[in-house]
Amino acid sequence: MSSILSVQNLNKSFGNKHVLHDVSFTVEKGHIVGLVGPNGAGKSTIMKAILGLINYQSGEIKIANQTVTPASHAALSKVGALIEYPGIYPFLTGWDHLQLFADGDHQLIHIQEIISQLNMDSYIKRKTKGYSLGMKQKLGIALALVNFPDLVILDEPMNGLDPEATKDLRDLIISESQRGTTFLISSHILSELQQLASDLLIIDQGAIVQQTTMHQLLASQGKQTIMLATNDDKTARQILKKAKFKMTADPRLEVVATDDETMPQVLRTLVEADIEIMDVKRLEGNLESSLLEVLKQYRVAQKLAKEQA
Amino acid sequence: MGTLVRQEIFKLTRKKSTWISTGFLVAVEILFAILSKVYPKTFVPASTFESLYFARPIIIFYMIAATATIITMEFQFGTMKQVLYRRYSRGQILVSKWLAMLLYSVYWYILSLGVAMLLKLMLFRHQLSIHQSAGHGLSIFAQSLEVSAATFITLWLLLSLVFLLANLFTNSAAAVSVGIIGYFATNIVTQLLTMLIQKWDWTKWNPLTMLLYPQMLAHPGVYQPLLNMQAWQMLLGNVIYIALFLWAGYKVFTQRNL
Repeated sequence: MSSILSVQNLNKSFGNKHVLHDVSFTVEKGHIVGLVGPNGAGKSTIMKAILGLINYQSGEIKIANQTVTPASHAALSKVGALIEYPGIYPFLTGWDHLQLFADGDHQLIHIQEIISQLNMDSYIKRKTKGYSLGMKQKLGIALALVNFPDLVILDEPMNGLDPEATKDLRDLIISESQRGTTFLISSHILSELQQLASDLLIIDQGAIVQQTTMHQLLASQGKQTIMLATNDDKTARQILKKAKFKMTADPRLEVVATDDETMPQVLRTLVEADIEIMDVKRLEGNLESSLLEVLKQYRVAQKLAKEQA
Repeated sequence: MGTLVRQEIFKLTRKKSTWISTGFLVAVEILFAILSKVYPKTFVPASTFESLYFARPIIIFYMIAATATIITMEFQFGTMKQVLYRRYSRGQILVSKWLAMLLYSVYWYILSLGVAMLLKLMLFRHQLSIHQSAGHGLSIFAQSLEVSAATFITLWLLLSLVFLLANLFTNSAAAVSVGIIGYFATNIVTQLLTMLIQKWDWTKWNPLTMLLYPQMLAHPGVYQPLLNMQAWQMLLGNVIYIALFLWAGYKVFTQRNL
């Protein structure tokens, strides 16, 4: 699959402070990519650089093979974004905003579609000065999607959204993604991101720590397990231990999935030992703990590297 | 570019202040026309018509405020990022704002001139002929048009400075203050300016002198010897300063990190 976004060796400094260090990554078409990391790691700076909002010292950013710089925005014609907080004119209605920024044919139909999907019908014709934070956030997201973008960049899109609105947004992102839209999303609400993102970019101190898939990250950190129910769990546990599978401390029969091959291997081992399998479930791990683990390992490695140097 | 200008005009038309200020301008013109009708000795009909019934200074204040806010509101409302991360270059976005303001200033001039003509027809049909001489070989109407055009040029000198300051400070208070001070400064410092020019001729090339262009056209016999300048030199000076300030504002806008 071809990439829609490519960032190569991006370096950015604010005065003497070097905030991005040789950042390189690619984003595949149609994927939902989570950009995660602690506060001040450089997530918003990367997003702003992609959108041509800030100058950078070196590197190259390409969207659909077209270079983006602060002076050259042609590649942004198929990009929608919401960065930091939605920019809203208080003297316009929500509808005015969408009309103002919508390009091309069938815009009214598309505007109405987005309004319905985000349940904004009841207030879209009201002046935005009376909008709540959540309403503004929804409008910002609607603005990002109004021109049928191929790539959507969302910085903390769940900010200020209630659970219902969060679900509406999640459904909208998934449905747009199924139509082929690519998303690059940064969020501190990792449980939400875990439900959305297929790929992950982990960033710390202005450097990419890891580019991986959600599945790989959870598996590599031992956060993904396989829960089994058999006709004889005690024997099954002994057989699996003997076969060198890693078991959790859970008294139930739970195996740590280290990679995609773990599940078939466990099943084969038990079947060969004449154990009857009554039920099997794959339990996803937790993005938050996996991320913290990766960051911890990265920082230790960095510290060691510094000490050795 | 057409889309961007249309978007700027769309925002202006959706602001209540645009329509309130339009109503206020028309009301002021009507008020001064009535005063001129009732007290023709105090408010001489020919002079009040020439000043478009006091519309010109009001237009200058409106335009200074509108020019400052067309830039600073984008920072104030946090919409600048949204405006910039589209397919248009920063240069195109800034130029669209210049063009929107140019159209807006043309709107005010056409409106005020149209209202002034209408009021003249309604109230001074038999008392005032716009074809009567205003001196210097020009009719009242021609003089009014000439001074309006000159005011328009100097207005743009002020606006180009306001654009630059709005881009530099992202704060409308600073830009509006300097614009308004610039407007009043010409009247306040004229005497000082003429003294300087009489002493050192090269000082005439400063922007404040250029702001006296409408006065030069209205009273060439007075201003030519005082400023040691011809009208065409002042026109050229205005154009050069406008280009210079707009260019500086453009550089600031295109280099800014958001």
